[in-house]
Amino acid sequence: MGIESQNNEIQNKIREIARDLLKEKKVDVIIGYKKGTLPLVSQPIIIDKEEDIDTLIWNNLCYVNLAKYLVPRVPKLIDPEKGNLKVGIVSKGCVGRALIHLASEKKINLNEITIIGIPCNGIINRQRIEMEIGEQEILEVSISGDNIIVKGEDFEKTFPFEEYMNELCKVCKIKSPPSISKFPNLCVGDYQEYSSLSTDFKDVTEFEAKNPEEKWEYIKDSLSVCTRCYACREACPMCYCNLCFVDQNKPIWFGKTTDISDIIVYHLIRAMHMAGRCVACGACSSVCPMGIDLYLINRKLEKIVKERFNFTSGLDPDILPPMVDFKMEDAEEFMLEED
Amino acid sequence: MEYKILMKNDIVKLFNDLTNDYKFYAPTKEKGNIVFKEISNPEEIELNYLNSKIPPKDVLFPQKETIFEYRYEGKDVIIEDRKDLDDKILIFGVRPCDAYSFKLLEDFFAFGKVQDEIFLKKRKNSTIIGIGCNSPRHSCFCTSVGGHPFQKDSMDLFLVDLGEKYLVEAISEKGKNIIQKLSWLLDAKNEDLQKSQELAKKSEESITTKFNFDLVTKILGDNFEHPVWQKISESCIGCSSCTFLCPTCTCFDVIDENDEYNHRGRRIRIWDTCQSCLYTLETSGHNPRPDKIQRCRNRIMHKFSYYPSNYNCLGCVGCGRCIIACPVNNELRIIIDEIIEIEKKEESEKVNA
Repeated sequence: MGIESQNNEIQNKIREIARDLLKEKKVDVIIGYKKGTLPLVSQPIIIDKEEDIDTLIWNNLCYVNLAKYLVPRVPKLIDPEKGNLKVGIVSKGCVGRALIHLASEKKINLNEITIIGIPCNGIINRQRIEMEIGEQEILEVSISGDNIIVKGEDFEKTFPFEEYMNELCKVCKIKSPPSISKFPNLCVGDYQEYSSLSTDFKDVTEFEAKNPEEKWEYIKDSLSVCTRCYACREACPMCYCNLCFVDQNKPIWFGKTTDISDIIVYHLIRAMHMAGRCVACGACSSVCPMGIDLYLINRKLEKIVKERFNFTSGLDPDILPPMVDFKMEDAEEFMLEED
Repeated sequence: MEYKILMKNDIVKLFNDLTNDYKFYAPTKEKGNIVFKEISNPEEIELNYLNSKIPPKDVLFPQKETIFEYRYEGKDVIIEDRKDLDDKILIFGVRPCDAYSFKLLEDFFAFGKVQDEIFLKKRKNSTIIGIGCNSPRHSCFCTSVGGHPFQKDSMDLFLVDLGEKYLVEAISEKGKNIIQKLSWLLDAKNEDLQKSQELAKKSEESITTKFNFDLVTKILGDNFEHPVWQKISESCIGCSSCTFLCPTCTCFDVIDENDEYNHRGRRIRIWDTCQSCLYTLETSGHNPRPDKIQRCRNRIMHKFSYYPSNYNCLGCVGCGRCIIACPVNNELRIIIDEIIEIEKKEESEKVNA
């Protein structure tokens, strides 16, 4: 089945489930995606009326991780009298993982949430397409067969979807929200057993083979255009601190400029905070106005955590993430590791 | 008025003739994004672009700027002022919307009793070579904010892209001097002028995003408290893309960076943004704009309500960068429509009553 028809099927399923949930009053609101007003974007929406159900869409540009709107809850998800509303949330695999991981960090109560599980077929690398099209205005983006078709006033270009999806989507093994047997009513629609996760991290071997100077150059080069707008942080479902380390100003902890040293401090310390927590949704890269792709940093972290703690984030709300937990047998030799 | 012709092949010549007198800034490609940077090699100049990702505001009001440096000598503190403020700056390739933004920046930095010497000196020493906008994006709306894709405000020289060549027009004395210096510029023919006029008309007609901002300003004045702000801020994730890429945003934060080990330090300013949780945070811990709802409202109010009352013009040049940049598509066109909707609803309620 082509991607386009898969999308239609997923979209119909989302609408069908959402309609039932609202009709049967199982949820008060649905968080989902709406068609964007520009060709390479989608719009997160929160709907509470049945008549708005048909604005819900699914396509390969639904890059925002909707779990973001739950921690902290945006005002529309709270009733001044009733308190927390029951939320239905359109969930591709990484949204499901974010919700489960946030539950493991005791940030959300899964009993208040209904996951509308869908099998994600990958997100378009919008930044890469924009960069490759360059200085021409993109007017229309569609999927046909296995290709992304990008049209402008006097051009039409074809990009193979397999090649032009987000790097993290290319290696994603959890397409639907992971099943949680303890919460049988949590997920409607698709879910995925996660027993057979592969531990293949071939995509980071090239980076690992670099020597420290080359790695440093790579980091410096890829982050140099950062404006520190913090879109990556604000789009990240795991960045929910009341006050980010980088915003600490009594006294200031870290430099606030766009000097490369300050930029690197921000990104690398944020990366450290993502160890064992990143759910590989790629939202940070999709939202960057400058087109910085953080996937390699996130993948390397995922690998380290998998190898050292045999942990993958967002699979079980009852297993404490390694950076939250402590075990006597935790290895510490990495403190002296050279790389 | 005298018109000249600059062949695109001669951009190198133009650069070579002017680079000794000016710090030469021009659009260039940096990691896939068009930005204005100081050019050392004319090959770096990118002539084929819609508009830059980061506005040329960045040249005169950079994201990070040293106000002064200081060092300790024994018990004394020696302050070292900026020495580069008298340098002549030339910014090549500025689009009309961004050139107009320089006027708004001047208004802001010269507002009231305190004059911002750093900005104003740099502005005084800068020469702007603008280029008309042949193909505005669908998100552009300069004609709704008093602009035009071929507007020449704040420019010293105005160029029109005629394909292989530019039509050159001197707008100011500074511009005339440059034309004199570039004595090798060719004379323009009538057909060049005609083509330029045709392009201007075509470009203006291609702008389809249109707003009645007089109405918007009026509605905003009456609706500081309105449920619409809840709706407008609903999907906002609170990043600063919209403000950091805005050619008219001027907010900055002042920070002292002390380098104790080397007995020196610097006072710098960096862009600040009303979308940040720190922006209005008071020392007591109180924050008058604690949530996204107030922050989103502030951005819109500032540009379309406070600016008209303080400066008698809109605080927006219609470049559409915020529309393109918003990662959750909570874009200005939708926001303005929502605001206009307030009035429409009230009208229809009146009719029904």
